[in-house]
Amino acid sequence: MAEAQPIVPPLVIPQEREGSRPFVQVLHDWIVTVDHKRLGIMYFSYGILALVIGGIEASIMRAQLAVANNNLVSPEVFNQLFTMHGTTMIFFAAMPIVFGIANYLTPLMIGARDMAFPRLNAWGFWMTAFGGIILYFSFVGGFGLYGAGSAPDVGWFAYAPLTSPAFSVGHSTDYWTIGLLISGFGSIATGLNIMTTVLCMRGPGMKLNRMPMLVWLNSVMAFLILVAIGPLTAAQLMLLIDRFLGGHFFDTQAGGSAVIWMHFFWIFGHPEVYILVLPAFGILSEVIPVFSRKPIFGYNIMVAATVAIGFISLSVWAHHMFTVGMTSYANAFFVASTSAIAVPTGIKIFNWVGTMWGGKITFTTAMLFSVAAVAQMLIAGLTGIMLAAAPFDWQLGNSYFVIAHFHYVILGVIVFGVFSAAYYWYPKVTGRMMSETLGKWHFWLFLIGFHMTFDFMHIPGLLGMPRRIYTYEASRGWQTWNTIVSIGVIFQALAVLIWVFNATKSYFRGKIAGSDPWDAWTLEWSTSSPPPDYNFAELPVVRSRRPLWDLKHPEDPDWKYE
Amino acid sequence: MSAESQVKGGSQKPSVLMPAPTAWPFAMAMGTALVFTGLLTDVSVSILGAILSISGAIGWFRQVLPHEQHEALPVEAPAPVPMTVHPKREVMRLPAAKEVQRAWLPLKIYPVTAGVKGGLAGGVAMAIFAVIYGVFAYHSVWYPINLLAGSLYAPSATPTIEDMRHFNIGWLLFATAMHLTMCLLVGLLYGAMLPLLPRRPIVLGGIIGPLLWTGLLYHIIGYVNPILDDRINWWWFAVSQAAFGIVAGLVVERHHRVWTAENMPLALRAGIEAPGLIEEREHGDKK
Amino acid sequence: MAASTMAVPQADVPLSANLKGKVGMWCLITAESSIFLIFVVAYLYYAGKSISGPTPAQVLDIPYFASICLFASSGTIMLAEKALHRGNVKRFGLFWFLTLALGVIFLFKTGAEWYRLIYHEGLTISTNLFGTTYYSLVGLHAFHVTVGAIGLTTILLFTLFGAVKQEHAERISVFGMYWHFVDAIWVVVLSVVYFITR
Repeated sequence: MAEAQPIVPPLVIPQEREGSRPFVQVLHDWIVTVDHKRLGIMYFSYGILALVIGGIEASIMRAQLAVANNNLVSPEVFNQLFTMHGTTMIFFAAMPIVFGIANYLTPLMIGARDMAFPRLNAWGFWMTAFGGIILYFSFVGGFGLYGAGSAPDVGWFAYAPLTSPAFSVGHSTDYWTIGLLISGFGSIATGLNIMTTVLCMRGPGMKLNRMPMLVWLNSVMAFLILVAIGPLTAAQLMLLIDRFLGGHFFDTQAGGSAVIWMHFFWIFGHPEVYILVLPAFGILSEVIPVFSRKPIFGYNIMVAATVAIGFISLSVWAHHMFTVGMTSYANAFFVASTSAIAVPTGIKIFNWVGTMWGGKITFTTAMLFSVAAVAQMLIAGLTGIMLAAAPFDWQLGNSYFVIAHFHYVILGVIVFGVFSAAYYWYPKVTGRMMSETLGKWHFWLFLIGFHMTFDFMHIPGLLGMPRRIYTYEASRGWQTWNTIVSIGVIFQALAVLIWVFNATKSYFRGKIAGSDPWDAWTLEWSTSSPPPDYNFAELPVVRSRRPLWDLKHPEDPDWKYE
Repeated sequence: MSAESQVKGGSQKPSVLMPAPTAWPFAMAMGTALVFTGLLTDVSVSILGAILSISGAIGWFRQVLPHEQHEALPVEAPAPVPMTVHPKREVMRLPAAKEVQRAWLPLKIYPVTAGVKGGLAGGVAMAIFAVIYGVFAYHSVWYPINLLAGSLYAPSATPTIEDMRHFNIGWLLFATAMHLTMCLLVGLLYGAMLPLLPRRPIVLGGIIGPLLWTGLLYHIIGYVNPILDDRINWWWFAVSQAAFGIVAGLVVERHHRVWTAENMPLALRAGIEAPGLIEEREHGDKK
Repeated sequence: MAASTMAVPQADVPLSANLKGKVGMWCLITAESSIFLIFVVAYLYYAGKSISGPTPAQVLDIPYFASICLFASSGTIMLAEKALHRGNVKRFGLFWFLTLALGVIFLFKTGAEWYRLIYHEGLTISTNLFGTTYYSLVGLHAFHVTVGAIGLTTILLFTLFGAVKQEHAERISVFGMYWHFVDAIWVVVLSVVYFITR
C-alpha cells in the first residue's frame, strides 16, 4: 500500500541489537529463549530448512522420472527418497511452519505478552527439532539391508506388513517411528499451548467473536492436534511393541490385522491435512481483507465453517482406503462424509471471493499468493470431490492423479499461503520490507512451475501411472507428461531461491517498514516492528474485530455496528 | 507469566516482567530424544538421556516453583504510539450503499413466496412448451412427460417411441413429482439470486442461465444416458428452459422487495419486543 | 473520540489467566484420551482373535481390591484438596499420603498380577494377540499411574518439608485433575478388559 506511510519510526533495528555481540552469546540466547516470537522464528526457519531438504529429495525423484527407463537412482534409493520426502514435508516442514506462524502471531493478535506456557513452548519446539534430527540420523545410523546407513523406505504412511521385522530388517523403520513419536509429543505440547493461550490469555475486550480469523483457525487446528496426534502416537507405540517386544498388533501370521494400521494411521492422517490447511486458510482470511480494503465477508459463517471442518475432518479418514475393499456401508458413509466436508470448504471460498468483490484490491505479492491459493483450493477441492466418489477412487486410487490432487492442496494452498504470510508479516518480524520486484518474480515463476508440475501430473495418473514406481517403460505413453512435470520443478526451485535471496537481502537492505506498513487492522500491527520482547507496553483494549480500524477512524468505528 | 507481569512504574524506567530464559526445557527435550535413540543405538545413550531428562525436569521445576523466575525488561520507549488517525482517508463506498454508511448486501430481497410462485408459473410455461413440442413432433402429449420420467426412472431400459407416446400412470406421477420439485427449487434459487445479479436480471437468469444449463446437460447426458440423449431435441429443450426462466423471472420481479433481516439485532429478528435490550445506535442506523 | 479512552469491564475477559493450568490439563486429558481410545479400540477389535491360548477367561481374575483402592484414591485426593483449600496443611498431608498409598497398592497388585500371568500362566506380550493387547493397554494405564505416583510423592515430600501452603491449592488441584483422569481411564480399562471381553 503506497499511500500508507510508516507512522512510527521503528524503535529497534534488529542487527544493531545483536550485531556487536559474539556469536556464541547470540546462539546461547536463542537456545535458552522462551519468547514466543523467537520460538516462532525458530519453528519457521526449521520448517523452511526441512522444506528445502524435502524439495531436493523431490527434485531427485522428478529427475529420475523425467524420462523413461532412467537409471539415475536405484529402486532402493527411490523408495527411501519418497518416504523421506513425504515424512519430511508433512512432519518437519509443514507442521513446524504453521506452528511457527501460530506461535509468533497468536499472542500478538490477541493482545497477550506470551503464550500460556512459555517453557513448554520451548520444549515442544526442541522435541520437534530432535525428532527431525533422529529421522535424518537414519542416513548414517540406520543399518539397513546392506549393512550400510539406510533411511526408512516404507512410504510415509508405513503400511503393515512392510514395517514388520521380517520385511524391514535393521533399524531404518524404527528411526521413522521414533522420530515421529518424539515430534508428536512436541506437537501435542504446542497444540495444548495454543489452545490454552487462545482460551485464557486474551487481552482486555478480546472476546472470542472478536478474534482475528487466523487465531480462530489456529485454535481449531490446536483442537485437531489434540485429538488427532494421539492416534498416531498410539499407532507408533504399537509398532514399537511389535518390533521390539514381539507383539502382534499388525502381525497377520498371529491373527493381527494390517488393515487396522491403515485405520489408525488415517484417523490421524486425514485430520492432519486439515491441521496443515486450516492455518493456511487463516492466512488467506487475514491477507485478503487487508488488500481488498474490506472487512472479511461473513465472519460468523467463516468461523462456523471452520469448526464444521474441524469436526467433519474427524470422520472422513477411510476415503484413503476405498481401494482396500471395505463394506458397501462403510464406503457409502465415507463417500458421504467426504463430500460433506466440501460444503464448509466451499463456504470459505465464497467468503474470500465475497471479501474481494467490490473491494479496492491492491495486488501486492502477499495478495497475489493468496488469490492464487483461493483459485487453487477450488481446483484441488474439485479433484477431491472426484476422488471422494468410491468408484472413481477404485479406478484412480494410488495413481498420479491422487498425487497431483493432494500436492495441489499442499503446495497450491498451504505453501502459497505460507509464502503469502512470509511477505505479509516479514516487515513485522524484521522491521524491513521485502522487495516487491523480486517478490513478483518469485510469484510468477512459482506459479508457472507449480502449474506445469501439478496440472500436468493429473494426466499420467488418468493414463494409469501408479505412484511410487521408480521408472516406467517408454511404450506407456507417459514420458511427455512426466518430462513437462519435471521441467516445472526447475521453475519452482528457481522461485524459492529468489525468495530466499529476497528475504536475506531485505533483512539488511530492505526499506524500513514502520509498525503498520499495510494499513492493517489486527493488533500485531499496533506495536513496533519487530515487536519488543514484551509485545505491548500497555495491553491494548479491543472493542471490535478490527481494533486498529477503530483507532484510525474514530469518526466511523466498527464497534458501533458489530 | 504475562498475566502476572505488570508495567512497573519504577523510579526511572518502567519495566515489564517476562518469563526468564532457561535451558532446562531444551535439556529435557534432548534427554527424552536420547532415551528413545538409545533403543536404536546403545543402552548407554538411553542412560545419558535419562539423566539429562531428569535433571531437565528438576531444573524446569525449580524455574517455576516455589516462585516463577522472571526477568524485568525495561520498556524501551514510552508506550508505543501506534496510530495517528488518517486525517483525509478516502474510503471507497459500494455504489449500492450510498444511503447507508455500511452495506450488507443485498439490502433488499424478494420474499420466499415470490420464489415459490415464480417457480410454479415457470413450471407451467415450460410444461406448455414441452407439450406443444410433443404434439407437433410425436402427436402425443405424453411423450415429453414420459421422457422426463425416463431420465431417472425407467422400468424398461429401452422403451420404444411407441411406448413413450402412450399414457402411463406411473411415469406421469413420477414426472409430475420431479417437475414440481425441480421447479420449486429452481424458483427459490431465482428468488434468492435475482436481486444479486447485476444489470439485467431477466436476461441473465431467464436466457443465459438456462442456455448454460442446457449446454451442460447436452454434453453430460451423452455420457450418462446415451439412449435418453437420442430422444431429446436440444433446441426445443433450450426454448422450454428459457420459457421457464423468463416466466419465473417476471413473476418474481412483480413482487415487492423486502429489507433483509440480517442487519437487525437478534432480539428483533427473534420477534421479541425488548426495549432497553437493544442498543441505541448513534448514527448510520441500520434499516 | 471514545475509542481510545473507554474503560472495558473485567467481565469482558472471559477466562482469566488463573485458569490456564486447568485448561492446559483439560487439553492434555483430551490428547491422552485419544491415545487410550486407540488402544481400547485395538483391544476390542482383537478380542477373541488370538489363534492360540491362553484366553482371557482362563487367566484373568477381576482385580476387585486394586480397583477399589484406585477408586478410593480419587476420594482421598478430593478430601486432601479440600483441606488445603481451607488451609489445613496437616489434614492435607494425611489424605495426600493416603492417596499415594492407595495408588502404590494398585501398582503393586498390578505387578503381582503380571508376575502371576508371566510366570504361572505363561502369558507374555509376545504369546498371542491377547497378551499383546492386554499388556499394552493395562501397561499404558499403569505407566500413567506411575507418573501420577511420582508426582504424588514429590508433592508429599514438599508437604513434609513445609513448602506446601494454602496458596498452592489451585496448582495442586490441577494435579488432582490428572489423578482423577487416571482413575476414570481405569473405569474404561477395567470394564473392557475384565468384564466385556472376558
